[in-house]
Amino acid sequence: MYETLVKALRSLPSDAKEAIVNHSFIAPVFLKALGFKPEECFPQYPTGKGADAVDYALRHNTDDDIFLHTKSHPYILLELKGRDKDLSEGSASYTSTVKQLKGYLLAPNCKTVQWGIITNSDYIQLFKKHGKVIYPASLCLKITPDNVGAIVEDIKQKIENISRALTVAIYNNKGGVGKTTTTVNLAAVLTLHGRKTLIVDFDPNQQDLTNSLGIKPAKESLYSCLEDKNNRVNLNDLINPYIFKFKNLNKEFKFDIITADDKLFEEREDKLYQIFKLHRFRQVLNNFKNKYDYILIDSCPNWRFFSQSAIYACDVVLIPAKHNNIFSLKNAAVAIRKFIPEIQRIRKDGSPIALPIFFNGEKITEAQRITAHYGIDSIIEQARKDRDNKFDLLPYFYPRFTNATKDRYIFDLPSYAHIANTAFERIPAAYKYKIAYDYYINLAKEYFLQ
Amino acid sequence: MSNLSDIGNLMLLYINEIKPNEGTNTPKFLITATAKTLSSLGGRNWVPLIVKEIGEDRYEVIGNSFIYAVAEEAGLEKVWCIIADSSEETAKLTKVLSREETPKINLSTATRDEIKDALQYLIEKPNSVLKSVKLLVATNRIDEAPRQYWQNFEPITKLKCGITKGKKINALKEVFYLIPQPMPDVIKDPTILNTLPTAELKKMAKKRSKVGYSKKKKNDLVELLSQ
Repeated sequence: MYETLVKALRSLPSDAKEAIVNHSFIAPVFLKALGFKPEECFPQYPTGKGADAVDYALRHNTDDDIFLHTKSHPYILLELKGRDKDLSEGSASYTSTVKQLKGYLLAPNCKTVQWGIITNSDYIQLFKKHGKVIYPASLCLKITPDNVGAIVEDIKQKIENISRALTVAIYNNKGGVGKTTTTVNLAAVLTLHGRKTLIVDFDPNQQDLTNSLGIKPAKESLYSCLEDKNNRVNLNDLINPYIFKFKNLNKEFKFDIITADDKLFEEREDKLYQIFKLHRFRQVLNNFKNKYDYILIDSCPNWRFFSQSAIYACDVVLIPAKHNNIFSLKNAAVAIRKFIPEIQRIRKDGSPIALPIFFNGEKITEAQRITAHYGIDSIIEQARKDRDNKFDLLPYFYPRFTNATKDRYIFDLPSYAHIANTAFERIPAAYKYKIAYDYYINLAKEYFLQ
Repeated sequence: MSNLSDIGNLMLLYINEIKPNEGTNTPKFLITATAKTLSSLGGRNWVPLIVKEIGEDRYEVIGNSFIYAVAEEAGLEKVWCIIADSSEETAKLTKVLSREETPKINLSTATRDEIKDALQYLIEKPNSVLKSVKLLVATNRIDEAPRQYWQNFEPITKLKCGITKGKKINALKEVFYLIPQPMPDVIKDPTILNTLPTAELKKMAKKRSKVGYSKKKKNDLVELLSQ
């Protein structure tokens, strides 16, 4: 089936420039193999940001909507390079090409895009876009005549199976940085903006989330669900709805919660590793992927069974930190350069990735900000110089930093006394106080909503 | 462009042939100290003046006015200049590029991120009148308001985000402008309806021949009209 693909690949010169790769590989065979007809591929698609144009935008036609004519609602973007550019992961041109693709994916005309591909016919990588979040959906793979069929088949399968939800683990292995408050209020504002949201309280030691919203345990326990591989458990029985009624508007908002049960808590750690594989929790969550827009996992502050399972199950990790707590910053760095890559190595699809950290719920004076920057600078420097595990932490701490601007911007969620107090009232602060709503919707828009 | 045109060229021009235009408001110290540095380090202005041609051997500064002031102070007879074209656009662009004018963004269509960055710029300026404004609150309330229809900035004062009439609202004009869309004939967007007075909503309901509006409260009216 993929013979033409193999043939075209074999006939490409090893130093083929972009135009040649396009002319003899991408345009005639590759796009077709992905399942796109010529009138479903728009070359040099204008992204709407300045004069930027991406090499290809793709979308399947519907009855009266030919993509080549209407140019509306692109679904996939493809950025092409020549073989003279090295696209192996970590190379300079790889980094700049990924950055270029991300810029296109977030451009005004590309809001409907769900996937991005970079390739030079030597290497290929698939990215998934969900709102503002872009994360790898495959490793950066070396293409050979032997595996090209399998790679294309894999990409095709991924892009044809639409998974609706973005799974976010809220994690910092330092406690007390406001993970639970962040999770609850993020769910609250996403729900207000019409996004269907599921929270998983995956911190059975504390069960803060469950308690803070006054939720009673559901009919089925997460334990039995993790244990059950024969679909005996009705997954809907696992879910607890949290309903909030705005009396003055006469409107209801609802998000769902899966609570951790006592049985998980009571089980000894070493026993848990014996009964459950790390990927088991991800398998359970996959059943919910098409029912929600966001799945938020409130994970516990350590690096053991529960947090490992949570990171394994998620697409991206959101890391709250405190500017005045150097340990929360150091721990964030450890999570980014050690724990998350550990899981990436087992998952083999390039994910999960960490989102840039943010400062949670403190007032920051100018002097404190400088101290925090000083601390972060040295953490970054240390990781860069580490001989055993050299790592560039810069984009995770200072996402806007470039050599030209040296911008040390970190998103900060200011303090607001009522946010902490609402835990007693069993209502997310974002529902009760307008300012809390303003704060958390900013967090949601900064990271997730486009 | 013909080869005889000087546009785009770097040229060494007599300073007395150049009209300084509006000049610069840079503090005296910076001008005299820079002039001294210029004289002691070779006397060539490596950062050029940007001028346009306004007649035979006559030019006018359109950007880097600071350099003109320094050259004058240092007593240079000739200065290095780049000749730009004489269009309005080029003059405007050069002013923005040489940071003599703050660029503005269209608040009717700006994204939330653009609004946030612009407000942060205003709030963090030295002696800002907006110092007490909470960045995230103002950003979100402006972002979520029906700003595509705003004719002026006045509706911002009703958002309760600390930006009040007078000095504060005027400060916004430094970075924002508006190109409003016309209000649609039939408004169904609840966020816009909510900004209108109840009497106005009742008039609308009458016009759209809705039934039973007269005793309804504002929230119910909004719901009725948004259907």
